[in-house]
Amino acid sequence: MVKRLSLMFTLALLVTMMLVMSIPTSIVAQDAEPEPTPIVGAFGGGETKISYWNGLTGSDGVTMNEMLAQFAMENPEFEVTSEIIPWNTLYAKLQAAFVANQPPDLVLMHASEVPQFASFGVVMDLGPWYTSGGGWFDETDISEITYAGMKYQGVTYGLPLDNHGRGLWINTDMFDAAGIDTDPSTAPDNYEDWVSLLQALTLDVNGNNAADPDFDSENVVQWGYVVGEWPRVNFLSALAQHGGELVSADEQITVNSDAGIAALQQAVDLVYEYNVSPPPAGFDTWQGFASGSVAVIPTGTWFRNFAVDQTDINGMAWPQVQFGEQPGTWFGIHTFLLPASSTPEKAAAVETLLKWISANQVTWAGSGQVPALLSAQAALDPVNYPSNILLGQTFSDYGVLDYQSTAVQEMYAALDPELDAALNNLSSVEDALNDAAERMQQVLDRAM
Amino acid sequence: MSANQRARLTAASRFSISLKTREILAAYTFLAPFMVFFMIFVVRAVVEAVRMSFYDWHILRPSRPYIGIENYIELINDNVWWIALQNTIVFTALTVVGTTIVALAAAVAVTRPIRGQNFFRVLLYTPSLLSVGAVGLIWVWLLNTQFGIVNYGLSFIGARPVNWLGDPGLVIPSLSLTSIWWGFGFPMLIFIAGLQGIPEQLYEAARIDGGSSTDLFWHITLPLLRPTILFVTVTGVISHFQVYGQPFIMTNGGPGRSSYSLIFYLYQIAWTAFRMGYGAAVAVCIAVIMAALTSVQFLVLSRRIEY
Repeated sequence: MVKRLSLMFTLALLVTMMLVMSIPTSIVAQDAEPEPTPIVGAFGGGETKISYWNGLTGSDGVTMNEMLAQFAMENPEFEVTSEIIPWNTLYAKLQAAFVANQPPDLVLMHASEVPQFASFGVVMDLGPWYTSGGGWFDETDISEITYAGMKYQGVTYGLPLDNHGRGLWINTDMFDAAGIDTDPSTAPDNYEDWVSLLQALTLDVNGNNAADPDFDSENVVQWGYVVGEWPRVNFLSALAQHGGELVSADEQITVNSDAGIAALQQAVDLVYEYNVSPPPAGFDTWQGFASGSVAVIPTGTWFRNFAVDQTDINGMAWPQVQFGEQPGTWFGIHTFLLPASSTPEKAAAVETLLKWISANQVTWAGSGQVPALLSAQAALDPVNYPSNILLGQTFSDYGVLDYQSTAVQEMYAALDPELDAALNNLSSVEDALNDAAERMQQVLDRAM
Repeated sequence: MSANQRARLTAASRFSISLKTREILAAYTFLAPFMVFFMIFVVRAVVEAVRMSFYDWHILRPSRPYIGIENYIELINDNVWWIALQNTIVFTALTVVGTTIVALAAAVAVTRPIRGQNFFRVLLYTPSLLSVGAVGLIWVWLLNTQFGIVNYGLSFIGARPVNWLGDPGLVIPSLSLTSIWWGFGFPMLIFIAGLQGIPEQLYEAARIDGGSSTDLFWHITLPLLRPTILFVTVTGVISHFQVYGQPFIMTNGGPGRSSYSLIFYLYQIAWTAFRMGYGAAVAVCIAVIMAALTSVQFLVLSRRIEY
């Protein structure tokens, strides 16, 4: 009897579990805010079908899907299937898709990747779409650096969507409490002043700040800064600020130059010398900001909707920190590409979609990113798009475009663990950068 | 014996030979569908991988020059390979030993005649039903330094927050702990089957001789489970040596390269750098190491058990 009851209970448990798992997500998440971005979305029901892959896994994916829905409503003859795939996986899947000759009709990637895919001959020359080639996209309406980022060996393969890049997000309540002006124009322009500011914002459990002699570095409740937020782009920004570069004109890796060592050492010192940042490992930077335990997070344009929609923090954007002698901030470009194997009909359909998206780049600013078109940037309303305008201006003034190479992914795969090791005090700055430079040089030599 | 009878007997003996042949043919016929797929999707892939390892094979690059054993020479001089190998060996050792002990303990517990036996078996097996993605995300949150429930629990005994996934000395044991929790369900089932195969009279005889429960476990259960332990550890080594999802989801190989595993590194080579030739060389070496480890296990644990 007991055995039978046990069996019935087990079966009931399994059936219940299966039922729970089979409930549509939309019902479970009915009251949840915010809703996750659908990974695969179909927009419209027309005869002309476009498959579109992108890596917009954050809130920018929500904006993109909203735009696609609007496009499909205005153009009922189209159906756009959007597939959102994390960037690293997207590049891997793309390779397999090209090998299988089943690429999507349209893909959004980073400009830094254009050389890699262009060098394989698998993406289409979009030169004829630009006004200089007799087309509709006005290249004089994008910055020169953006236009250059679309090219590989003189051929224009990409169509730019935006400039997205580095900037800070600050907790204005913490600034007010520390008596620090929140006006971005008052941001320090040297390392020492930044350290002082961040020390004032770092508090221990007794309320002492990091500059106080009684500061308890073992019991910090509020961090001024977080070095673990995408360390690579912080490093690349700081490298440029110190006058350094990733690769020299004669194709030598120079991350271990004096500029590189100074840039990384400053970040390491923020953790172990000045106690204004936790070590990166094990610290969730976004949740740290959202939970009110981080005053300044070095993030980027993409942080806007998270900060507004998913936190209760009173925050605003600030320009990237300046630790070197000159300002500098990393930025990239989201770029549309088409497979070289597109049929004329399919290419024409995608062209219609991209014309529409380009004409609506102001709407794309709702994602937090800075539209690529200068006319769209100029049309942004300062009340609704303050972070886009502020950070977009820094990209124009002193932005450092992400390095473009046929082996950029592999080079960064060699750099990232070394930066992580130095920032977690597992390796000295010199050793880490020397190791990174050696491996990156091997990659670069192989790619050339 | 008439000529007709002789002819029938000859035909019968011929028939018995052909029957044997027919049986063999039938066996191979039944095996054929599997063998076809096995040859196409496993053997051919293995041969192709070995071949690729001698080429500079980039997935989309049209030219794929033959480079002999250069990939293997690069591998020997690749310090990340050695870091990943060391991490993988430590992870595999911790996880296989941990999983075997936990699975055996769980099997012994749920084999006893207790109320709700099936419920507990299902409950203990449930984590095995989860995907590595779900398991990874659950444990990232459980072990989170700032908000994790494990550190929250430890705070009640006055412990300081532990950086489970950020401390280079703790990250592999933490990944191992996650993997044990996730993976002990299946070995537990194997152990339950093994325990049920041990004759009850051996225990009865030992009890009559005054053996305690501990004596029974050490002198009857454990020795007679040797074939089961062999199976569990061999399959465990093969499985855990290929760990990928846990470091990918939980640590991205960090801090630094403290949790790089061989397959994690292989994935980076093949699908971040797109160097399929070098990736194939790594894969071949991993396969050779696993085969060697499995052979050693067989040598150590495969003594025949008679009962």
